[in-house]
Order: sequence, then C-alpha cells, then structure tokens
Amino acid sequence: MRLLYYTLLIAALGTAAVDTFAQEQKKFTFTGAARSLFYADDIDLKAEEADTVTVPRLNSGNVMVDLGLNIRPNQNTEILGMVRIRNDYGGFWGSGVTFDIRQLSVKGVIGGVVRYQLGDINYRMSKYTMWNYDQELMTNVPAIFRQQVDVVNYDHFYFDDHSRRQQGAAAECALVFRKYVKELQFHAMTSRVKASDFANVSDRLFSGLNAQLIQSDHLEIGINYANLYDIPGTSRTDFSFRNPVTTFTMKVLATYKGIDLSINAEAGKSRTRYENNVEAPDWNDRFLTAEFSAHHKNSGLKVSANSLFVGSGFRSPGAQTKRIAFDGTPAAFERFTNDQVLRAPVLLDYMRESDFYTLQLQPYLMPFNPVYDNITPYGDATPNRQGVILTLGYEKKDVPVTAALTHYQLQEERGEGTLLPRKFGRNQLNIGADVNQFFNGWKKHCHVTFSMCNDRTTRGGDELVRGVDLKTDVWNAGIELEVLNGFDLMFGIQSLQYEGFDFTAVRDLYSEIYNFVEYKAEGEEQLTSFGARYRFSEKSFISAQFTSSENSSKVDNGISYDINQFMLLFNMKF
Amino acid sequence: MKMKNKIFFAAVVMVFTFAGCKVDKEFEGPSLNDLYGQFAIVQGLAVSNYDVNFSENQTTYFTATFSKNVEWQIEVKGLQSGSRKIITGFSNVLDATNATWDGSTTSLPLFKAEECAIELTFAAEADTLRDTLIVLGTKIYEGFLLSDFESGVNPGWDSFVQSGANMSFTVQSSDQSPQGNNYFDIGGTVNWDWLIALIDMPGSAYGAPTYPLSENPNMEYFNVMLHKDPTLSNGIMLFQFREDDNGDGVYTTNVEDMYSIEIQLSENGWSLYSSKYADLQTLINGAPAAAIGNGVHEPHKLLQISALFLANPSSGYAHTQMDYLIFTQGGPLVP
Repeated sequence: MRLLYYTLLIAALGTAAVDTFAQEQKKFTFTGAARSLFYADDIDLKAEEADTVTVPRLNSGNVMVDLGLNIRPNQNTEILGMVRIRNDYGGFWGSGVTFDIRQLSVKGVIGGVVRYQLGDINYRMSKYTMWNYDQELMTNVPAIFRQQVDVVNYDHFYFDDHSRRQQGAAAECALVFRKYVKELQFHAMTSRVKASDFANVSDRLFSGLNAQLIQSDHLEIGINYANLYDIPGTSRTDFSFRNPVTTFTMKVLATYKGIDLSINAEAGKSRTRYENNVEAPDWNDRFLTAEFSAHHKNSGLKVSANSLFVGSGFRSPGAQTKRIAFDGTPAAFERFTNDQVLRAPVLLDYMRESDFYTLQLQPYLMPFNPVYDNITPYGDATPNRQGVILTLGYEKKDVPVTAALTHYQLQEERGEGTLLPRKFGRNQLNIGADVNQFFNGWKKHCHVTFSMCNDRTTRGGDELVRGVDLKTDVWNAGIELEVLNGFDLMFGIQSLQYEGFDFTAVRDLYSEIYNFVEYKAEGEEQLTSFGARYRFSEKSFISAQFTSSENSSKVDNGISYDINQFMLLFNMKF
Repeated sequence: MKMKNKIFFAAVVMVFTFAGCKVDKEFEGPSLNDLYGQFAIVQGLAVSNYDVNFSENQTTYFTATFSKNVEWQIEVKGLQSGSRKIITGFSNVLDATNATWDGSTTSLPLFKAEECAIELTFAAEADTLRDTLIVLGTKIYEGFLLSDFESGVNPGWDSFVQSGANMSFTVQSSDQSPQGNNYFDIGGTVNWDWLIALIDMPGSAYGAPTYPLSENPNMEYFNVMLHKDPTLSNGIMLFQFREDDNGDGVYTTNVEDMYSIEIQLSENGWSLYSSKYADLQTLINGAPAAAIGNGVHEPHKLLQISALFLANPSSGYAHTQMDYLIFTQGGPLVP
C-alpha cells in the first residue's frame, strides 16, 4: 500500500474550478445571448399552371434575449438561471411575446472531492452510448449556411462536443495514483426523459455510468453503462421499457519515428425489451469498432483505418436518437400548388426551422431521409452495418490548409427482406484553406472551403425482386472574404443530386421492420447564397444574406420550385 | 523497438484481425420476394388421397407450390350437403403440415359421404385452382351421443307437446340435416304458455340411472346443433340438467341441483352450441340464481336432461330444428 499512494482529486473541471475560485470572483454575473432574426421568403413554382392559391411571399422573424444570472453564493457552488424573452416581429404590447425558462442548474463541489451538477446538464459519453450526432448534410457547409445552422443548434443545445441537453443530475470524481495507474475517473448521471401521465406512460429515465482508467499517457481503458428505462409503478401500465448498453473502450497512444499513432477501440452490447409485453421483441446485439490512425507531423499526412461492426439488433437510444425528426412538415409554405398539397421539406427548411429538431431521447429508430444519408443515418451507431472506413488527410502546423479524403466501404450484417445484404460506398472530400496566409502582407481573413460526398447504396436483384441502386452526390463550396476590418463578404453553394431506387423499411413502435416501401428518387436541390457580415467582436455580428433554394423532383410528377430567402441576422453572446 | 511500441503494434494487429464481413443467414423484416416478387404457380393443385374415408381415421392433404409466400385459401364444398371446409394459410408451399383435411367442417352441416369440389384461391392474385375428391366415409366424433335421430327418437325419452296450432314434433329427413340425414323438428303456435314442447331424456334411456359421464365438470361438454328460421326470432331452447345429488335414483324438486342453458336462437341456419358442464348455471325464470342443491357440478350424477322449446305466447308461431346432441370430453365438439 505504501507504493500505492493515492489522492482524492477533484476532476479536471473541478481542479479548474478551484483555480478559478482562488481568484476574486463576483457573486453575480450576467451571461446570455441576444439575437434578431428576420426572413423574407418568396416561392416560385415552376409549373405550367400558375399557382393562384398559395400566397407567394412570407415574412417572419423575431427578437430574443437569453438573460442568464450566475450566482456564486460560496466558493463551491454556482447557480445559473436563464430566461428567454422572445418577441415575434409585429408582436407589440404583449402579443407574440413569450417568456421561457431556458436553463436552470446548480453545480458545485462536495467536500472538495465530488463535483456535481443538478438541473440542466449537457452530457455525452462514448459514440455508442450517449452521443448527439450532427444533422445530415450540415457539417461541412460553407460559413454562410453555418450561420443558420448555428441558430438552430444553439436553440436546441446542440454543441460541438456532441453532448445532449438533459435534465437531471450528474456527478464525477477521480482518484490519482502514484504508480502503475495515473488516474481513475468516475462519472455518473441520471436524467428524466419523460414524465408519467399516471395512466399509460411511466416515468422514463436515462442513466449513465463511466469509469475511466488512465494508466499513462499511452493507455486508457474505460467502461460505460447507459440505460434508458421506465420506472415501474409510476403509471397504471404493466409495460416497462429497458434498454441497457454496456461498452468497453480502449485508447492506445504511441509515437514511432515521429509518427503519432493511436488506436481507439470500443466494443459492447445492448438489450432492448418491454417487460410484461409479450408482443414486443427482445433485442440483443453487439458492436465492435477499432480505429487505427497515424499522423506524421513533419509531412502533415494523416491516415486512419476504422473497422466496425454494429449488429442489426443493436439499440442505443442515447446514441441513435436523431437530431432531425424527418416526419415533420415545414412551417413556411407548408402547402402549395392549386391543389394545396403538402410540401416536402428541403435542405433550406432543415437549415433554419427549429420544429424539425428533437430534444429528448427516443426509444425507437427514428425515420430518416435516404437521399440525405442512407449509409449512417444514426451516425457511427447505425445498426446493421459492418465494414471499414479509410481516411487520408493532411494537417500540418503553420500550414493553412486542411484536407481529408474518406472512403466508407460498408454492408449490412443482416439483409433486409432478403439474404442479400445491401452494400454502401461513400467517398468524401473536405478541404479548407486560409488563402490569405499564402500571401505575405494579406492580413485580412480569406477562408475557402470545398467538400463533396458521393454515397451509393446497391444490392443485386433477380428476376423476381428488383435490385437496389441509390446514388446521392453532394458538393459544397464557400468563401469568406474580409474586405474591411471586421466586414466580410460571403458566398456559398450546396448542391445535392440524387437518383435511384431502394426499398425503405417501415418499422413499428418497437423498431421491428414489418413492411418495405418502394422508394424511387430522382431530383436535385441547390442552395446558393451570398451576403455580408460585420463582426463587432468575436462574439457578435450582424449578417445580411440572400439565399436561393432550387428544388426539383422528377419522380411521380414531382414539383419543381424555388424559394428565395432574404435573411437579416444579428447575433450576440455575452 | 521500445516495448510500448511493440505492444502498440501487437494491438494494431489484434484489433484488425476481427475485421471481416459476415452476413447473417436470416434476414430482417418480411420477405421482399413476398411483398414485391412476381407470383407464379410452380406446381399446381393436387390431392394426396382422392378417395378418402374419414371414418377409418384417414386424412387427405393438398399440395401446390408458388413462387412466393401468399395468403391462400382452400375451400372444400360438399356437393350434396353443401358443407364447407375452409383452410387458410400464408406460405409458398401447400403440404401435409399446413393443408391437411381430417373430414371436419367449418360451417354446418357436417360432410356426408359425397363428392366434394375443391377450390384454391389467393388473397392478392386472380388465379383459382380447382379439383374434386370423394368422401367415402364421414368423420366419427368421439363422445357420448344422446341422439342423432338417424334411428328415430330414443324410446326411453318422454315428451310433452302443447295442443296448439300447426304443431310439429317429429323426426324429419333432409339432405340439409347438419349430421346424417335426420333431425328433430319442433314448432307450433301456443298463445297461452311459453312452453311449446319438451323432451325428457333420462339417463335410464341409456341403460343406467345416470349418464355415463366423468366426475370432472371441467372435462365434460354438452353440444347440440340447432336451427333458426331466418324469418323467426322468437324461439328459445332451454336445456335442463337434473342431478341426483343424494343418489336415491330420483330427482327431488327444490332439493337437488338443476342446471340450465338458455339459448336464444339468433344465428340463421344451423349452429353448434357447446357448453362446459362446469359453466352450467342455476336459472330461475331465465335469471341466474343460487344453487338449489349442493351447488356442486357433478356430471356423473346427471339424472336427466330436458329440452324445452319456448316462445313468448304473444309472438306467434315458433320453430326450430335440433340434431346431434352429444357429450364430448376435454373440449367442445369441433365439427
């Protein structure tokens, strides 16, 4: 025991907190954000018969302030309360004004050992237990589109660390050892996902546990447990949902002849069941993934190879809940044409409309749009996938260019409706460059981005059943050009083309496939945008932009139309 | 190479050795071939036994093969009796496991020794396949038969018939008899009393004071086939089951148990009515009441069964037909 000297330690942030607390701090501070957003839309139907029913122009917008008060009653406690005041343009004297509680949390340190947080917490675990994957087609978009995506993400607490906003409690602590093991961390959280209605819906909780053993700078081993579950007795129903997921992680780091090497591996299993419901299935399945990567710093070259297997019955609500609920309809121009048919949402709608987005974990596999992503609709945790992902990249210190070329070669573990598995191929290229840094004396910012992604889903057919071949091509290009101090001109374009045929699975409440629907797709969407932005500071800007969304579908007398959007956005964080 | 690098490369080799795609031997969801494949009859309809004698415990089964799983229906129709047997399923093969016929019927009457037409149809396809077979002997049902009226009325029975108008109380013969050729016909107009006619069927009519039933009321089922005229809806058939609780050989009114079944004829045509002995109730004027005797269902003490045909005196002419009264064991009669 003498050799094993350990000290209870406040976890990393706890340490940071102590350092911070050591300084003189105000007991009250204000935090929050302010935003003004205005849209002027115009729809142009490309049809032989003029649309005389739909109102062709829509204006909408709002002003909102998130006003947060940070209270520090003592050195070990911090209370945050944030109120959102929102007013629609045109809503005076109370009309259209809303007051909401956006955030309430208490956090602190118990006995200098355990760090805790109560109320609203942002939490993430591993990619297969609790991970909030990005929405489709909006990750590598030009900055001019990113402004609208950021608004949606901010409103829904979608952060870059892929955490998910929960309401509950979290705690963490760590043990530091002198020999053999560097540190042992413990993290735990529980949140309430759904409240009982005292009749048919029970209280549903999500709990996560993580123990992370950091042996050294070269080896980390972890165990994760996540469970979405009902509390029996909180309603009159006998059914009780259970979805535990247990995973093991391993991270190995090394350096060999100037090459940074790493292995990230995770393996685990899940079980999904509805207790006391004989009609519900009992899913058991597993996953296994290991990524090897190497980065030669001198040359900037990076390579990685990721081998993955995710069973068809693997269910992890914490990781598989999608940001976008694809069964919604757009708020702008919800119906159009003289027949007032429902308009299917397009990229522009997903980019700006909050109502499509989810906040709570879902116990089933949510629907998705095969045209936007048929390969990884649930991120890395997409069930029924196996294969490899290869990446070749470039990233070098002091060189203002980054590039990555990624190839997915996946297939189903279990065929859907046939023994033949579907095969998935994806080629993805992302390039970004600060062009001004190539020229001496060009001090103003100039950043260009380009990305493209080609997805293909195939499966052979026979004389009885049609084969599958669905192809999606996306490319983005954008530029931010600073012409005066803090004043940027921006341009961006995103093009999506799709064509082909697939059978899409129709799932029941338990995510079991009970039918297949023939899915024919042929069409394109194109977003073109230009505008200007003035940056008052790093945390505030005003932006005006014009976006044209051209949409056409050639399937089943598809309707082609354009939506032209003018947007004025003022954004500030404080 | 340093030790940690050796470990690292060993780990690289180890984690990538699991890589390799294996495809499950089962697929997820319904078969695409079933949902979207082209339908074709690979092998036509055939019958394993075209001359089948069900009375000798023979069965026959139908065979066919299709290009995909479909919802199919086989209808066997007796060309003399009009009896129908329906067999349904969802498969791409018909064979002994899913298309066997044991001589039973789906809707009364029971099959006779007759020629039968077979028709194979599909829920979502226009094709129809046809064939015929001959029933040489009908299925024999296990149980204690009270009467099928093929040899007339049991001489040990007693009866009472009101002297109303258009009275009928006799065995009749017809191809439409639900079993065999004969059935019992009861009818008439009695405008002063609910009772039209009754039959007492004492156990002594079968050679012993009580019926030869087991002691377990959950194993004994009483079955009877009754007919309702489509134009009449006033007939009520009441069956009374008198037990000899004290074993003195006679039924003592208001002392020993009498259970009843009251059947309001509602389904047009022939219907099979079955009741578990343990479910029989004590009825007073048609309403459930406390047991009269020891309140224990004792089928082995069943002394007499009475069949009473009733109708509201103001409702006019009432009529029914009755056939195949039988006790079965372990479950109701499955025709």
